[in-house]
Amino acid sequence: MDTASQSAQVSVEGVWKVFGRKVSEAQAMAKNGASREEIQTATGSVVAVRDISFDVAPGETFVVMGLSGSGKSTLIRCVSHLVEPSEGRVEVCGTELTRADSATLRDLRRQKMAMVFQHFGLFPHRKVVDNVAYGLEVQGIERQERHERAQELLDTVGLEGWGDHYPQQLSGGMQQRVGLARALAVDPEVLFFDEPFSALDPLIRRDMQDELIDLQLKLQRTLVFITHDFAEALKLADRIAIMNDGAFVQVGTPVEILTEPADDYVRAFTQDAPVAKVLQACSLMQPLDGRGVSPDWPQVSETTPLEDALPHLLGSTNPVVVCDEQNTPVGLLQGDDVASVISENRG
Amino acid sequence: MTAVDEVRTKAAGLRTGSEHRLARFILAASTIVVLVLVFQLFTNFGIFPDSWDIGLADPIDRARRWLINNQTSHWLYTVFLNPITDAIDWGIRRLESILKWFPWFSYPLVTGLGLWWTRGRFAGALGLAGVALIGVIDLWAESFATLALMSVSVLISVVIGIPLGIAAWRNESVARVVRPTLDAMQTMPGFVYLIPFVLLFGFGRVPALISTVIFALAPVVRLTEVGLRTVPQVTVEASEMFGATERQTLRLVRLPQARPAIFAGMNQTTMLAMSMVVIAAFIGAGGLGQVVLRSMQNIDVGRASEAGIAIVIMAIVLDRFSTGIATADPGRDARAMRWLGAAVSVVAVVGGILGQNEFPESLNWQFAPYVNDATDWARDNLYDIGDSGIGTGPFSDFVTLEFVTPLRELLSADIPWPAMIGIGMVLGLWARGIRLAIGIGAALFAIGFLGMWELSMDTLAQTIVGVVATLAIGIPVGIMTSHNDLLRTALKPVLDFFQTIPSFVLLVPVITLFHVGRIPGIIASVIYALPAAVHYTDLGLRRVPAEIHEAAESFGATRGQRLRRVEMPLAAPELMVAVNQVIMLILAMVVIAGLVGGGGLGLEAVRGLRRSDAVGRGFEAGIAIVLLASILDRLTRAFADRLRPPAAV
Repeated sequence: MDTASQSAQVSVEGVWKVFGRKVSEAQAMAKNGASREEIQTATGSVVAVRDISFDVAPGETFVVMGLSGSGKSTLIRCVSHLVEPSEGRVEVCGTELTRADSATLRDLRRQKMAMVFQHFGLFPHRKVVDNVAYGLEVQGIERQERHERAQELLDTVGLEGWGDHYPQQLSGGMQQRVGLARALAVDPEVLFFDEPFSALDPLIRRDMQDELIDLQLKLQRTLVFITHDFAEALKLADRIAIMNDGAFVQVGTPVEILTEPADDYVRAFTQDAPVAKVLQACSLMQPLDGRGVSPDWPQVSETTPLEDALPHLLGSTNPVVVCDEQNTPVGLLQGDDVASVISENRG
Repeated sequence: MTAVDEVRTKAAGLRTGSEHRLARFILAASTIVVLVLVFQLFTNFGIFPDSWDIGLADPIDRARRWLINNQTSHWLYTVFLNPITDAIDWGIRRLESILKWFPWFSYPLVTGLGLWWTRGRFAGALGLAGVALIGVIDLWAESFATLALMSVSVLISVVIGIPLGIAAWRNESVARVVRPTLDAMQTMPGFVYLIPFVLLFGFGRVPALISTVIFALAPVVRLTEVGLRTVPQVTVEASEMFGATERQTLRLVRLPQARPAIFAGMNQTTMLAMSMVVIAAFIGAGGLGQVVLRSMQNIDVGRASEAGIAIVIMAIVLDRFSTGIATADPGRDARAMRWLGAAVSVVAVVGGILGQNEFPESLNWQFAPYVNDATDWARDNLYDIGDSGIGTGPFSDFVTLEFVTPLRELLSADIPWPAMIGIGMVLGLWARGIRLAIGIGAALFAIGFLGMWELSMDTLAQTIVGVVATLAIGIPVGIMTSHNDLLRTALKPVLDFFQTIPSFVLLVPVITLFHVGRIPGIIASVIYALPAAVHYTDLGLRRVPAEIHEAAESFGATRGQRLRRVEMPLAAPELMVAVNQVIMLILAMVVIAGLVGGGGLGLEAVRGLRRSDAVGRGFEAGIAIVLLASILDRLTRAFADRLRPPAAV
């Protein structure tokens, strides 16, 4: 076992999921490079996930981005084991789910993991507070205690005072806050998000994304996040996997995806991406390597978005100095480098 | 595909379909004609030969005598049946005494409050007045007997039905057994369940209750299964993701979300149980049903009407309550229940202190005498208005002489029995195939072997007249309501009302006008089945998509053309469902009408219930009813399937 998967909190190795009867035939065809349509006409089976492997480190946000039908929803269900993979290994928090008996799996779900769903998956017959307390209830925690904990979490997600309502009386954004609070209530180490914000309108979606980023800064959990929205992936991810036709096309940091798209499929997404917003100064700077800097040159921090550094570059021919948290210069941002990345992504 | 294309392909499909259909129809019709002619000209078969009667009645009668003689000694009774009887009887009595412990005024009050809360002020006032009226017309004690029996029946149905529904949902092989059994149980006229249980348990409330449970069980099972199956998958996944066990998911997530469906099932079960009130009185259920029966026998139409109205009030109140609970949203529901609970306990405590549990006699007032006066007046004045030959009497005679009797003669005597069996088999072949044809042939032979041929043809003739009359009225009305929302809204409460009334009660007013005989039974059955005919016609026509209407209109089709060429063919499967429902409802009613002079199988079955020496014949009649019902049901369902347009690929 290599070091990466030892330290990983979620480890997925060679996972396949075939829906239908002729699983092995379909897999054999897929290994020979047949497309999903070809396999379906030949065997009647659908290869939803083909040979996917990845690791997620503790505290990392791993985003799987794909269009509808790419298999991303099936993938997250294989990882959370709501769906049994046809082949492959899934390990969460050091326990191999693909081998676990139902009691082990249940304990793991009670203690270590939680999921937020696309259409919220709230229980319409339970009050908001009882929705949030559900995970604690199935663990057998007393009513008093679980309600206190649920109230705390409702406060955390900004829903104080809504506990006695029913979910359907709340707006979409509020409902997903309930979904988030419900998942957080069991204090999980790993959180799965299945397109949690795609049913929300754009402004609410942005608020929820910002809120999730804030929460993650505080909580530092391991997140596996599914989305069809490339901009959302860029905004939230430490690493992104682009998925198409059941397989990963490219895995990398947002900057890697933007600056070195693996093929035309990925490039098509990057073209409309808000590059100047996503890329930070540190990702395009040239290391200082002992070169001197002039005190006249403008300074930005490593995490400054490109769009905020641009005015400095446009104003003069001088480079911009990039400093780390201690305000020590670490690199230089050159106008030419920035221009070429932006124009390439527009190209 | 554009709407126009859609119309063209549908039209093309219908044309080729209808050419096939025409060919098959000509084939079937000519075969039938040849069959009849051959048997008529070259043989002299008439009625199914008496000597072929296998005489099932005798062993049944012997079994009955044995059962009566061994009721106190045999282990079957001492170990098994008697304890069941005693337990159920104890339960009914216990519940009845609890119900009677509450002060009389708590019932109208609770009903009024409950309906006010769930349905509004007007319904509340009506509920209060309705329940009070039951006491006013001096049917308080009888109502409690009925209410207790019904409550225990529904309770047992629910206690059996919900787990059975869960089992059917969980396990496909259970479902494959349960579903057709339930369908069959609900299809049969409730009446036929009485006979075997009387045989086993004798007369009393227990066989009445068991028959009621069997008749009423189906909806709660079916809707429990449907409710569980339609729980959104994502909520189940959410529950699983929190590490809930299957049992926890069922208890905390699935069942609560299936609750509205389960309540709807309980509502339908309650309504079916209510429709058995009078029928179950035949074997000693007591209560309001018995008052109806006894008064009908004494031709005391007034008292029968009072008891009938009490049953209708009880049915409507129970219906509104249970739909109110089923459709209430959880927030309001909880509050309403708390309020109701508080109101009930306050009233109960007050009443307990005052000891007011008898309905005060000073409030009694009966309208029976007025009804009897009206009946007398109707008999004297409407039966034959001014000796003019116009009136209900001549009408009855006309229908009897011109339609019912000739049709009965035709079916039982004029068409030789082998030709009748042949016709049944040809219809089966035409509708579905060889298996149905053989099934129908076997069933018809069995009817003959039971010695029930003539009576069955009598019942069949009455059923056919009723069905034709119902469809002749119901389909045009359905066409009108489908094109006219105003008419539909206006008719809906009337139709709902007729569907809520227990079938037997319908006979009461009809008999006041038409006396006893075959005609009141047929008329009551037409009234009973009309709502179904109107409803399904309306439903079928409304399902035709608006764009198809528009497409047809854009070709310049007239209203009549649109109806004939486009709407009716597309609605044909629903119309066939209407025919199926109407036939089953009418058959059930015609059987019941045997009790008021309708003759046929119903009369024979009732005799079996009344006289211990006729149990065997009654049993045979019961089987014949089941066979006849099955033939008609399968045949019409098969035709309905045939009319469905080919499924999309």
